Amino acid sequence: MEQTIISLKNFIPECVLIVTILVCLLADLIVRKKSAVVAVIGIAGLFVSGWFVIGQFGVKESVFFGMVVIDPYSVFFKLLFIVSTVFIILFSLASKEIKDSTHTNEHVYLMISLTLGANLMASSVNMLMMYLALETVSITSYVLAGYMKKSKRSSEAAMKYVIYGAASSGIMIYAMSLLYGYTGSMNIFEISSILSKMGGTNPMLVIVMVMILAGFGYKISSVPFHFWTPDVYEGAPIPVTGFLAVTSSAAGFAVLIRFFSVTFLKSTTMLNGSLQIIDGIRWTEIIIVLSVASMIIGNFVAVWQMSFKRLLAYSSIAQGGYIMLGLVVANQQGLTAIFVYLVAYMIMNLGAFYALIMISNKLNSDDINDMKGFAYRAPAVAVGMGIFMFALSGIPATVGFVGKFYLFSALIESNMIWLALVGMMNSVVSLFFYIKVLKYMFLSKPDEENSGKIYYGIAGYVLLFILVIPTLLLGIYFGPIVRFAEMSAVMFGLK
Amino acid sequence: MTKYFLLVTLLPLFGFLINILFGKRINSEKFSGYLSSFLVFVPFFITFLVFLDFISVPPESRKIVLNYFNWIAAGKLSINYSFVLDPLSITMVMVVTGIGFLIHVYSIGYMHGDESFARFFSYLNLFIFAMLNLVLADNFLLVFLGWEGVGLCSYLLIGFWSEKKFTGDAAKKAFIVNRIGDFGFMTAMFLIFANFGTLEISGFLGNIAGMPVNSVLLTAIALLFFLGATGKSAQIPLFVWLPDAMAGPTPVSALIHAATMVTAGIYLIARTSVLYALSPTASQIVLIVGILTALISATIALKQNDIKKILAYSTISQLGFMFIALGTMSYGVAIFHLITHAFFKALMFLGSGSVIHAMHDEQDIRNMGGLKNKMKITYITFLVGAFAISGIPPLSGFFSKDEILYQTFINAGILPYIIVLFTAALTAFYMFRLTGLTFFGKARYDENKVHPHESPRTMTIPLIILGILSAVGGFIGLPHFTGLPNYLERWLEPVFTNANRVIQLYKPEGHHAVSVEILLLILSVLVAAGVIYFAFKKFSKQERFEKEKGFGKILENKYYLDEIYDKSVVEPVQNTSEFFLWKIFDVKIIDGFVNGISFYVSRLSIDWRKIQTGIIQDYATITIAGVVLIILYFIFA
Repeated sequence: MEQTIISLKNFIPECVLIVTILVCLLADLIVRKKSAVVAVIGIAGLFVSGWFVIGQFGVKESVFFGMVVIDPYSVFFKLLFIVSTVFIILFSLASKEIKDSTHTNEHVYLMISLTLGANLMASSVNMLMMYLALETVSITSYVLAGYMKKSKRSSEAAMKYVIYGAASSGIMIYAMSLLYGYTGSMNIFEISSILSKMGGTNPMLVIVMVMILAGFGYKISSVPFHFWTPDVYEGAPIPVTGFLAVTSSAAGFAVLIRFFSVTFLKSTTMLNGSLQIIDGIRWTEIIIVLSVASMIIGNFVAVWQMSFKRLLAYSSIAQGGYIMLGLVVANQQGLTAIFVYLVAYMIMNLGAFYALIMISNKLNSDDINDMKGFAYRAPAVAVGMGIFMFALSGIPATVGFVGKFYLFSALIESNMIWLALVGMMNSVVSLFFYIKVLKYMFLSKPDEENSGKIYYGIAGYVLLFILVIPTLLLGIYFGPIVRFAEMSAVMFGLK
Repeated sequence: MTKYFLLVTLLPLFGFLINILFGKRINSEKFSGYLSSFLVFVPFFITFLVFLDFISVPPESRKIVLNYFNWIAAGKLSINYSFVLDPLSITMVMVVTGIGFLIHVYSIGYMHGDESFARFFSYLNLFIFAMLNLVLADNFLLVFLGWEGVGLCSYLLIGFWSEKKFTGDAAKKAFIVNRIGDFGFMTAMFLIFANFGTLEISGFLGNIAGMPVNSVLLTAIALLFFLGATGKSAQIPLFVWLPDAMAGPTPVSALIHAATMVTAGIYLIARTSVLYALSPTASQIVLIVGILTALISATIALKQNDIKKILAYSTISQLGFMFIALGTMSYGVAIFHLITHAFFKALMFLGSGSVIHAMHDEQDIRNMGGLKNKMKITYITFLVGAFAISGIPPLSGFFSKDEILYQTFINAGILPYIIVLFTAALTAFYMFRLTGLTFFGKARYDENKVHPHESPRTMTIPLIILGILSAVGGFIGLPHFTGLPNYLERWLEPVFTNANRVIQLYKPEGHHAVSVEILLLILSVLVAAGVIYFAFKKFSKQERFEKEKGFGKILENKYYLDEIYDKSVVEPVQNTSEFFLWKIFDVKIIDGFVNGISFYVSRLSIDWRKIQTGIIQDYATITIAGVVLIILYFIFA
């Protein structure tokens, strides 16, 4: 009882989110029509929760009987999720797809529920808790993907997502039960110390590892667990797609990185800083394979996509591959690089999705062919999109370059130069399709019948500007995010 | 005051942003012009207050490092955005913002009616921002950022009237020639980082203080920096861009290509004075290049007919004088001449602008004459400038130039002294040829068509202020024998203490009789006065101009240096680029490679896309197959 009370103190941000969800639900029942009020309540709740999360910075504590921990690592992710959710809710207010749907305001509290699940994913250290958190995120994602229930594509996407997600979770939970049976514990620290004593030569451990990776890999859209991604991204409304690309996949990384760094590292080395992988469990090699496969498949297949959403789907598969490169290094520097990249990834991806919302609101399409000459029709939006595309491909003076720079330099300092080279080559290929979008927008003239100027409300431009500024500013002055990442790259139980 | 010092650089940046983003929409010359000028004046004022703070504290504590934020931190490399405030940087900031402000005000009148008025002022403000970063930065990377920034502004402003093809060519020339210098600067930075692990200036200078004299590494770094300096400060062999840069608007010539930007090289060497003190070899080369540049460009100036070209060659020659001072390791003297030169050269450029303005864009002095009655203020101030540069006491140029002559005599020997004295005589000669032909004699233009008139007050007031400064500016650095205090030397002393200490190690201080100094001084004044009398007599009444023959023709054509550079450097490079690099290497190899890759990427993309069938059973199959494959790999590998 006493511990529960102490634990609750460290659980305030999540409690605030739960209250926010309930208040939004009630408010929705009262207003009974589409209204910004619910969104405003949701955003306010997120801000309050975020404020408490900031207060947790520097805390290192295990709560609820070793189920979850509060550490700088989880604080970093929680802030990332909260910020991106605020933006996504704002996007959904601007999105025509959401406006045209038959629902009132359900998306707001569904999104906050997803954030709650994601927060738990970032902080859980118990396999059961991890699974529950992951399912919270997944189930809300299914609902959100099928949000436009009149649209056949949206429903199909949701259905595929459910089946694929269920299969992946099934594989993962089976592996978790095997691991439990082998070690007799659900807590990843305990598992780690037991495995450290036993050694990792049992071939079953490899099976367990790969199968667990299937569950997490599906969340981060890593090849070969990525198949749902293009179809779901294409079918879901764009704000939801953006949400999946940013929050849901970052949450996948949060749980994946913690699980692998804790469970399969020698428990004796954890506290003195010289981390060593348990003999016989070569998980970094699997990560290398998945990372290279994700980069190559993601970038190469994106080249011929004419649907902007599918293009961004493959792009996020490839971006996931880059992030995994940081995990391969498996040390403090790698983790810092991942964090820097995640911040960059969030900003530029949110920007790209928002610009896409603005475009498709007016064109009712996400086909790149329809965007011919868009720069002549709405120059500000086209330039914004251009900046985000440059950032995603990692051109200097944008935040995307900083992210890639830190990843590759972490690799080079760990003598994995060839892997850095693969990453760089892939960036070159990615330039091909990111710039292709701009080619259609800037170099082609608009069709005769659709060449009128397009105007947006002032709020639309302001939101775009808010996203453009950090994309450029943090590309030049990136000291703060690097320091923030260095401070956050501290995991409970690891030195 | 240092609390608000960041404003010094932020305000011009702000002015740049306002003018470039909204200037066209606001479309008000008054707004753009006055705002920009104001945003340069405030930094001057703040710096002046800091200056007052500084002189009230003892000399040892006249150095503050303002660390704003950590800009880049990657591995060993850590770059802070930090400024160093010491007498040298404060002096430079006051020169840049003070003269910059006057030229901003002047431009309000000069650029009146120009289509791109706001754009012009935005570039000027951006230039001030970059230049202030250059002189304030505490690490080489930030200096380089400013260095490139001023280069960019110079490029933009030379080509400001882009509808004329010549301006575009001149801009490109300036940019490309400076690239060669930048190569030197960058290589020097790489050497410093590789050997000392830091790019911080004070850290680097502290590290080298104990190193042996004339070590290969330090000489290499010093010479590479000097290569950078020859680019920016227009010295042999990279000076050819500056005369062409006169294609830009005249205020730009005054601000960037005479008073401030071109002195960046002088500043760089003065800032790293310890490095050059430790490498007498490099200093010797600086001295030789300075002497040659001063002499050659002064001779070219003798036979030029474009009013701005004469001033341009004169600028190169005067910059040569400053490098002579640096080469003799008299760093304070170089800065002294930098200041006085900024006064009188800005004055003369603005004066020439006033003349050009009055003559409806006529720049050939053979078509002028007799302007002294039509434009009194311009005439008097210009005359002050001409006397100052010729070294007539007690005007500012007299003191600074004489100090350089004296230092050359005692540190470099009699032959260099004679050459420099001869160059000083040439200076007086071409300046009074210019003055005589422009302001005296009869009008040689069509008086029915052109009616010269005095310029508006926004233009004449800066002229008057600069005229006063050119006249009395020399009193900040009086020679020692007068027994009066040399304020500038005392003020700058803490900056050069370390360098002087190093020099004393291998070069015992010599004693020279005061009588020698006075003798040299009288000699140079007599030479200058004689030459002025001769030149004035010859040119103030000249009406006919014959074609130049013999050596005169060579001088008129600038020793054919442009042609020689064209044949020896530009054409071979161009031919290699066109016939090998472009048509073979680029088209066949690079393009072939790139196109080949893109072909295969597309092919793979088309094939791999087909895996995504849209049927969920297929997806499941492939996923399971993938899991099994990975497991098999780890079990059997």
